Amino acid sequence: MSSANRPHKWHQWTLVAAAFAAVVVLLVLPLVVIFAEAFAQGAGMVVDNLTSSDMIGAIQLTVIVALITVPVNLIFGVLLAWCVTRYEFRGRKLLSTLIDIPFAMSPVVAGLCYLVVYGGQGLVGQWLDDRFDVQLMFALPGMVMVTVFVTCPYVARVLIPLMQSQGTEEEEAAILLGASGWQAFWYVTLPRIRWALLYGVVLTNARAVGEFGAVSVVSGLIRGETLTLPLLIQMLNEDYNTVGAFTAAGLLGAMALVTLLLKTVLEWRQSSKLNAAEETLT
Amino acid sequence: MSIRVDGIRKTFGGFAALDDISLNVPQGELVGLLGPSGSGKTTLLRIIAGLEKPDRGRVLFNERDVTTLDVRRRKVGFVFQQYALFRHLTVADNVAFGLRMLPRAERPGRDAIRARVRELLELVQMDRMAGRYPAQLSGGQKQRVALARALALEPEVLLLDEPFGALDAKVRKELRRWLRHLHEQISVTSVFVTHDQEEAMEVSDQVVVMSQGHIEQIGSPLTVYEQPASRFVFDFLGHINALEGLYDGAVWQSGEARLRLNTHGACPDGALTLYLRPHEATLAKAPADHAHLPVKLAARSVFGGTVTLELEPRGWGAGVLEVELDRDTWAALAPGRDDTLYLLPRSLQTVTCDGDLGPRVAPA
Repeated sequence: MSSANRPHKWHQWTLVAAAFAAVVVLLVLPLVVIFAEAFAQGAGMVVDNLTSSDMIGAIQLTVIVALITVPVNLIFGVLLAWCVTRYEFRGRKLLSTLIDIPFAMSPVVAGLCYLVVYGGQGLVGQWLDDRFDVQLMFALPGMVMVTVFVTCPYVARVLIPLMQSQGTEEEEAAILLGASGWQAFWYVTLPRIRWALLYGVVLTNARAVGEFGAVSVVSGLIRGETLTLPLLIQMLNEDYNTVGAFTAAGLLGAMALVTLLLKTVLEWRQSSKLNAAEETLT
Repeated sequence: MSIRVDGIRKTFGGFAALDDISLNVPQGELVGLLGPSGSGKTTLLRIIAGLEKPDRGRVLFNERDVTTLDVRRRKVGFVFQQYALFRHLTVADNVAFGLRMLPRAERPGRDAIRARVRELLELVQMDRMAGRYPAQLSGGQKQRVALARALALEPEVLLLDEPFGALDAKVRKELRRWLRHLHEQISVTSVFVTHDQEEAMEVSDQVVVMSQGHIEQIGSPLTVYEQPASRFVFDFLGHINALEGLYDGAVWQSGEARLRLNTHGACPDGALTLYLRPHEATLAKAPADHAHLPVKLAARSVFGGTVTLELEPRGWGAGVLEVELDRDTWAALAPGRDDTLYLLPRSLQTVTCDGDLGPRVAPA
């Protein structure tokens, strides 16, 4: 399957070494520095910062945003992938292209759009405020909304190519055997896409936890109320609280490492599944 | 259960995949839908199953209109060309799937399901593979599991879409004999789709020959072969040699070739094409009174009891001709390397200049 060779000439080895050096300098070193800086003034300072009310508030808020965003986009992504790959309708290509808007658009712009529409001066925002006394922006709902927007393509983008390649025959077989649409999805479709789905969830979660731009526009940066971890890092850094900033950064860095690990495991699972499927065909 | 298809029409974006198709399948028969790809045979099968909705026309099971009946309620067994086994389930779970999907009130108990699965796997001789996953099976084994799965709910109609299309020649042959045998055992009304003439001829009670969304002919395998209703059917069933020439009411001629034919006035003078099946001619070292068709041997292949010869016409015609002789005839002939041989047709199908089939004629 792989047509790659081992490098055997000196210039090939040089290329490999250069690649490694770039990865270390650009990616690994900064990550190490984060942890080093966090612990620079001893573990006590780290613990103090971790247990400060701002930090705990930020962690809670970040987790809440992710806990709402991930299930919403899980369902949304599966629905979208199902529509695009299982039905033939006018505008199917268009829909599939529109999914990518959050990829193409800067998160800050997304945040501003939401602010304009749902903010206190905005059309929908004003109406909600007048009728129901509900404020979406500069509060949790707004932060969840923009995070959902920014992360919505991940699950669908992972599922669509997979479901396209799997085709519809197994689902048709299930329906012919008397399964309802829901049973066909639950017993046939879902088991076949579960690893890809989990992979999409991991990506969505990583993005939701780390989102800065869009959230910073709609959060209003109210200390102790609307600061997520990325926003807190920015704020602590501006306050010259280096240990605090790097402790929060270290938390996000640790989450990134866990995500990376999960992603590797899931990719490996998926490729071994794909290989098994290929063996079947030969 | 009998199946009746009545005036079915189906278009895909302006292209008529099926145009006014009517067809009767009596209870317990095994009918083959035969045609080249694009003839609409799979679409017809999917309409009978309920997987596609026709634009016009009706589908009736036992004279009951099921055209608008949901796929799930039609209770048909369906076998896909690519098996469509649930790859995350074992063989036994695949077969049990339909039973497990039944509403609670109708669903058999756990032990009853297990017993039924064992019985089905024995029927398709796969009982020793019950614990395996589809990826661990060969193509032929997968197709047998797919068949057991389709039979689990005791359907009264069994539909098979190119069931042996993805298998190699030997397994194909074995499986289609076995399907024929199985059909005699359980006698469920069955329709299968194939593009393989031999398969349709061997397995079906009735063959439905289709082309471009139309039915060309319906009949027993023998009938469609010996009395083809159209030029397409003749063309499609087995290899043919087309000999083009001119006819003057008594002699057909093309370059050096001459053939005396009495068509009893059925063929007008002028251009006349003759279709010759490979097994309806022999070879001799000298021309006959009524037939002078010189040829040169280009290639031969010996396989089983027949010798297939490729012949180049000498001084007439254009393409290579294919003729089959039995081994003894070939051995008795024993031609030299560059000998001129003479083709002696026993029976020919005439095709008039307007493309219609004329009578079958024997040179004399």
